[in-house]
Amino acid sequence: MCGICAHTCDPAGDAVARMNAEIVHRGPDDAGVHVDPGSGVALGARRLSIIDLADGHQPVINETGTVAGALNGEIYNFESLREELLRAGHRLRSRCDTEVLVHLYEEHGPDMVHALEGMYAFVIWDAQRRRLLAARDRFGEKPLFYVARGRELVLASEATALTRTGQASSAVSAAALDEYFVLGYVQAPRSIFAEIRQLPPAHLLTWSQERPHPSVTRYWSPPAPSGEPTEEPFAELVDEAEELLARSMRGRLHADVPVGLFLSGGVDSALVGAFAADQISGTLKTFTVGYDVGGTSEAVPARALAAALHSDHHELVLTGSEMAVRAPATLARLDQPLADQAFVPLHLLAAQARREVTVVVGGEGSDELFGGYPRVRWMDLAGRMARRLPDSALRSVGAASRRLPAGGRAGRFAQMLATRSLAERHLGCVTAGRPGTRASVYGPALAPLADSDLARGWGVEQVPGRHAAADLMRLDQTRWLPDDVLAKADRATMLTSLEMRTPFLHRELGEFAASLPAETHLADDGKAIVRALVRRRIGPEFAKRAKRPFAVPVGDWLRGSLGATLGEQVAGSALYRDGWFAAEPVGRLLAAHRRGEADHSAVLWPLFSLGCWWEAQE
Amino acid sequence: MSAPRVLMITPDFPPQRGGIQLLAHRIAAHLRESTVRVLTLGHAEAGPWDRREGLDVVRVAGEGSHRADVARLNAAALREARRFGPDVVLCMHICVAPAATAIRQAFRVPVLTYMYAREVAASRRLAELSVRISDRVVAISRYTARIAEDLGARRVSLITPGVDAEPATSGSTQRLQRPTVLTVSRMTERYKGHDVMIRALPLIRTHVPDVQWAVVGDGALRGSLQRLAEANGVADAVLMRGAVDDAERDRWLDTAHVFAMPSRVPAGDRAGEGFGIVYLEAGVHGLPVVAGAGGGALDAVLDGRTGRLVDPSDHVAVAGAISDLLTEPAAAARMGEAGREHAREFAWPRIADRLQELITESAGRG
Repeated sequence: MCGICAHTCDPAGDAVARMNAEIVHRGPDDAGVHVDPGSGVALGARRLSIIDLADGHQPVINETGTVAGALNGEIYNFESLREELLRAGHRLRSRCDTEVLVHLYEEHGPDMVHALEGMYAFVIWDAQRRRLLAARDRFGEKPLFYVARGRELVLASEATALTRTGQASSAVSAAALDEYFVLGYVQAPRSIFAEIRQLPPAHLLTWSQERPHPSVTRYWSPPAPSGEPTEEPFAELVDEAEELLARSMRGRLHADVPVGLFLSGGVDSALVGAFAADQISGTLKTFTVGYDVGGTSEAVPARALAAALHSDHHELVLTGSEMAVRAPATLARLDQPLADQAFVPLHLLAAQARREVTVVVGGEGSDELFGGYPRVRWMDLAGRMARRLPDSALRSVGAASRRLPAGGRAGRFAQMLATRSLAERHLGCVTAGRPGTRASVYGPALAPLADSDLARGWGVEQVPGRHAAADLMRLDQTRWLPDDVLAKADRATMLTSLEMRTPFLHRELGEFAASLPAETHLADDGKAIVRALVRRRIGPEFAKRAKRPFAVPVGDWLRGSLGATLGEQVAGSALYRDGWFAAEPVGRLLAAHRRGEADHSAVLWPLFSLGCWWEAQE
Repeated sequence: MSAPRVLMITPDFPPQRGGIQLLAHRIAAHLRESTVRVLTLGHAEAGPWDRREGLDVVRVAGEGSHRADVARLNAAALREARRFGPDVVLCMHICVAPAATAIRQAFRVPVLTYMYAREVAASRRLAELSVRISDRVVAISRYTARIAEDLGARRVSLITPGVDAEPATSGSTQRLQRPTVLTVSRMTERYKGHDVMIRALPLIRTHVPDVQWAVVGDGALRGSLQRLAEANGVADAVLMRGAVDDAERDRWLDTAHVFAMPSRVPAGDRAGEGFGIVYLEAGVHGLPVVAGAGGGALDAVLDGRTGRLVDPSDHVAVAGAISDLLTEPAAAARMGEAGREHAREFAWPRIADRLQELITESAGRG
């Protein structure tokens, strides 16, 4: 729930009030501004009421007025924290988690983050020490952006709350744009705006009037993977995961408003559904999106699951014509561009669910924590094979791969085999060939970055004797998960004032998953533990579902009216006019795609999404 | 009636180390009104050890896997019973239930069987057989007694394990200068709560910045626990000593400030801490204890008197309890003293006397 903002030099609270107004969608139920008169530091919050509907006003201030806090998200263990604080002599007035946060800060200072289980971004102002503390949750579920100018620091839940209120320039960063085009998202700590930084997951930011510069430190990381096979019996590991997931669900189903479930038809949301159906009183409401084109609808398997869960099931069938109307406007509302093809459908599904419920749970994070991506297995295998082959053989494989049909399994595996570095192999896998198109589609403003190395800093390398899979899973968890999957989930739901909760992203469950070797996770076609739990809780027929890369028919849509919109962008948008991208080659790709000569949606969709966002910034 | 003849059958016996080994040995040594013969497995260093201890021990050569050795022990038991002529058979583990069954049928001798907790889930069939053929089940805690009753046991006696109430002193009587929390446990089972201790450490550090957590014991989870400590930024406060000898272990017990082991009842059908003898051993050394409020620890720790029982899955509560004990030395010392007092009630002679009563009663009935 909620959106927050803060300004270290806003004695009247005007700037914070204006930023609050830019994030109304994150919290339509209430707004608050607190200004510390002694320092001129202001905190703001918009609230979506989920728990303690009456007394949850934010920002929260302690009894002496010395500590104020604003929270975006949920602290799932706030009740046990509250008990512990009462035991230690604190006096709390409400049942609200933000109040717990303020007292926890009094008890532990910045180390308070080690007590928290939840999804959160928060800001605390300590008027006595004249210190500001901001933090983001361990997996990166809730966002926080900031800009530091001179002695001032301004923070907000969404980047555009900073640019639209004049707190930061809206000039984009070329490096971020390059990253966006290749990866489909911008990696923290960067943001799409040159001046604005994003606080990475599991990081703390401190700033004080004495030292008025943000200091950013990491307070947690996913434990390094084990290289050794485990001696623990598999059934005991499944028991352990079941216990932790049940505990996670108990916290995540706690709400004073109705809770529903996004059901995709895959094993992750199925498992979440099985726990939810057991734990909530009344009938579980489930929501699925399907399409009128393409053969990729999730609707059919989701229907079978809904029947097994005895849920009150709702289906949204998204038509091409509806996409044509809704996609440009939806993408324009993003605070920074995101090329994830599932964003628009997820947002429209969220809008439908919001009519019935205020909170939804979903299966996000399971793929990253429990080894759900088949590419991890393939890359691991390719790495081990490549080490045994001489260079000459790999060169031949590389040459052969270019003759194999593009997009085919054999061709992709041969390409993996021919790529020496693990990071490049990963990049090749997740970017659908976009790095290679940069030279042709980049305009003069981006051209110098056409061969930039985006894998630098990933810390992925092939270490002989170690499973590459473990490193790749960790990379997915630290980059793709927060900057794509969770950004998508947060924006898609918050734009319609729906709160999404993710039971797999429980700290102890994450640490447990990381303590196991990759081979345990990758057995049983991947996600062995999740599949075993689905077998146990729902039935073996639901555990077999293979991971499918995308279930969104963007190729079809781009051949239809969305293609026409993209054509207009190419012809008239400043994105092309100002030389970021080159209109002519993009136009050629679009024409070939629309004629059905080739599927260029991997290149065209990020450009379409960016184009919609770009126009809204002008 | 003359002293009853007790045939103790146990796969676990010193010089092999472990909790059941220690229990079997102390019982054999302290059953003053019985004539005890121990039938157990061979061990490379058994000869000198048996001579030094002066107990009546018969060993079955163990050569293969543990499973094969236990089968050999079962096979040898009937022959040994014929030679020894017991009035009572005392099984120290459910895995010797087949031997007890045969002896009971052949000689109509009453059988007493010890139950702990973990072994029940590991081998349910043997547990059920044990319950069927035993005249009495000896449960080491209320928690275990419930497990035995759930299996259908009708006659269950609760006799906890004991402690050496006056241990050989390690020579170190001064507590360490650096505030030290100690855990003594193998790192083989997740339910022991090492992970919770790691999550608690950053919070303990906000009140006691130079705290260290010393862990005595080794096991397959050591690597992943080390990595968990790194992930949580507390590797510099963790001292993993691995498996150490008794002297070093006693030295840690004598010099640490708080003993903590927040064991939880494990997931699934598996059983957790049967009793938690280490909590009493900590008491013997005057250490206040922080333990999980569940399983066998409920019998070993008096909440608020010898230590604190907390929700073992809540690292914040664990951190709160440990911080309190570290920052309030007078209260901690009082709890340590109460722990020492409490442990005396569990001195081996007292425990053995209670078992002796059961044996005498069973022998009379037999």
